Amino acid sequence: MYQYSQQDHQLLLERVSQFRDQVQRRLKGELSEDEFKQHRLRNGLYLQLHAYMLRVAVPYGLISSDQMRTLAHIARKYDKGYGHFSTRQNIQYNWPKLEDVPAILDDLAAVEMHAIQTSGNCIRNTTSDPLAGVARDEIEDPRPYCELIRQWSTFHPELNFLPRKFKIAVSGSTQDRAAVAVHDVGLRLVKNDADELGLEVYVGGGLGRTPMIGKLIRPFLPVHDMLTYLEAILRVYNMEGRRDNLYKARIKILVHETGEDAFREKVEAEWERIKKSGLALRNQDIEGIKAHFKDPDYEELSDFDEAFDKEVITDPEFAKWAEKNLELHKKSGYRVVYLSLKSRNQPPGDVTADQMDAIADLADRYSLGQIRSTHRQNLVLTDVKLSELHDLWQELKALDLATPNYNHLTDIITCPGMDYCALATARSIPISQALTERFDAYDFINDLGDVSLNISGCINACGHHHVANIGILGVNKKGVEVYQITLGGSAREDASIGKIIGPAFTADEIVDAVGTLLDVYLEQREDASETFLETYRRIGQDPFKEKLYG
Amino acid sequence: MALQVFTASLLKEGLVAYLCMEGESCFWSTDLNKATVADEASLESLQAAAERSEKENIIIAPYAIDVIVTETGISAASKREQIRADGPTFRLPQSVRAIEITEGQHAA
Repeated sequence: MYQYSQQDHQLLLERVSQFRDQVQRRLKGELSEDEFKQHRLRNGLYLQLHAYMLRVAVPYGLISSDQMRTLAHIARKYDKGYGHFSTRQNIQYNWPKLEDVPAILDDLAAVEMHAIQTSGNCIRNTTSDPLAGVARDEIEDPRPYCELIRQWSTFHPELNFLPRKFKIAVSGSTQDRAAVAVHDVGLRLVKNDADELGLEVYVGGGLGRTPMIGKLIRPFLPVHDMLTYLEAILRVYNMEGRRDNLYKARIKILVHETGEDAFREKVEAEWERIKKSGLALRNQDIEGIKAHFKDPDYEELSDFDEAFDKEVITDPEFAKWAEKNLELHKKSGYRVVYLSLKSRNQPPGDVTADQMDAIADLADRYSLGQIRSTHRQNLVLTDVKLSELHDLWQELKALDLATPNYNHLTDIITCPGMDYCALATARSIPISQALTERFDAYDFINDLGDVSLNISGCINACGHHHVANIGILGVNKKGVEVYQITLGGSAREDASIGKIIGPAFTADEIVDAVGTLLDVYLEQREDASETFLETYRRIGQDPFKEKLYG
Repeated sequence: MALQVFTASLLKEGLVAYLCMEGESCFWSTDLNKATVADEASLESLQAAAERSEKENIIIAPYAIDVIVTETGISAASKREQIRADGPTFRLPQSVRAIEITEGQHAA
């Protein structure tokens, strides 16, 4: 994990001190709300429906156990005892007081965390594969490249007032677990025929009111050129992106309006000019950051464990969890463990302070002291020994973190919706909870297999509904919350945007409507190995539409 | 015109608050039932008081909302404002604590 330098620490302390002063000036009335707003947003502080909301950055989803304890402490001392993990792998607090925020930032700085650039028209938290460094299908660990982007983009003076917010994701595996295709810039680490490491560069992906899949503008960029190329992209965007219309200000609109080829030419021309600048990465720059992400001292273990095999046979509940919430690890004898934040007892993505403390302890005892957050709003322990899985599972179960639903129907990405968000036009959490209540039976979701269901409470699409196999968008129609369904989306390597199936449903109808869609899938699939998305792509919308609307 | 009250967010806490008049002075309460309800004739004076409170840095971004007044009390007309008044519509994660309000309710 990256350790802050003296310079990093200094930077953070100065920033907190500045913000403390800005808060004091605001409270004394020396700054108006309009003047203060830019300062608070640059420090991750929003004013939401009920209260202030503080968004804390979790760079590429990596959290140490000490950091998790601090997050618990903040939830307990300054908030209502819980936090919410977002689709940018960040954590949000829904109830901090303005006057407490500088103290919260002090506590965060003490564990090398902050809320900088988690809002505003700047480069946001770079997201990545939660399995980075341990995935079996990994070509290269993306974390060092994420860290290089973090350092380059933090307080970058030229990129601090972009036309609109800017989101970057980096993946280093063949499978896309970071939704790379729906980011402003998506980078995939790849190797060319000469076995050299490079990046596929996708630009102009995004969700919101105009969902688009990113365009591949460079199939192979040497990694040493990553920052110069990113700077060229951002420079073209900064100069030519629209500032006259908020809804057309994202880079996806610029790429779309300029045309993919013309946009590429502009970027390449700018890159040609700056590619040999001081931003070009040298071997020692990359190796220096890579040193922070070296493999821990894994034990040499067999991938077969007699006790584990026995527990799977004798304990059916454990077997169900093991089947759903474990992933293979690159080292034999270890497994990746998904901690589901989608139990039926809590809003999706929410974690209490007590759970956070317990997770930190579990990470120390079972997983080398680290936790990852995922863009699907779950947590991960990446380095658990096969022989210790049963013990860990029992503890997770006691904490209500062992719902066996990872990547299944009830693992629902859900935005805060109108229950928290000032922009939302409909509620999403109660719908998510109603769906979970209805479809929570293990055998049913097991039979359904791999299917994604995401919910957004407005057209801004924070719940990623466009890229779910079944997407639900809540909107307000003449004062009534109604829910529109899209089908066929995917956030993975076969990324696609879902298509609207027809008129919206009321809150009372939407759960049954999803049930009908699932019935069609179960009737129409060729066999149990054909996923919902595969069936949909084979048979199209009509059979679903017919059953839904008669 | 529908009956209306003025609402805003308290500067210090960020919490939802409603304008309550007491003669010439006013205060802000987090309880919608304590809000002063205005008709067309009295709305202007409430607006002036709300703007004063904003200038005095007690609240942020005041605006008027439609309400329904019944024997049991005041309720917001729109779903959004009902949620603002009553809080999230599901059970919050357990072991939560209440947010204490310090000076937000004080007279402006």
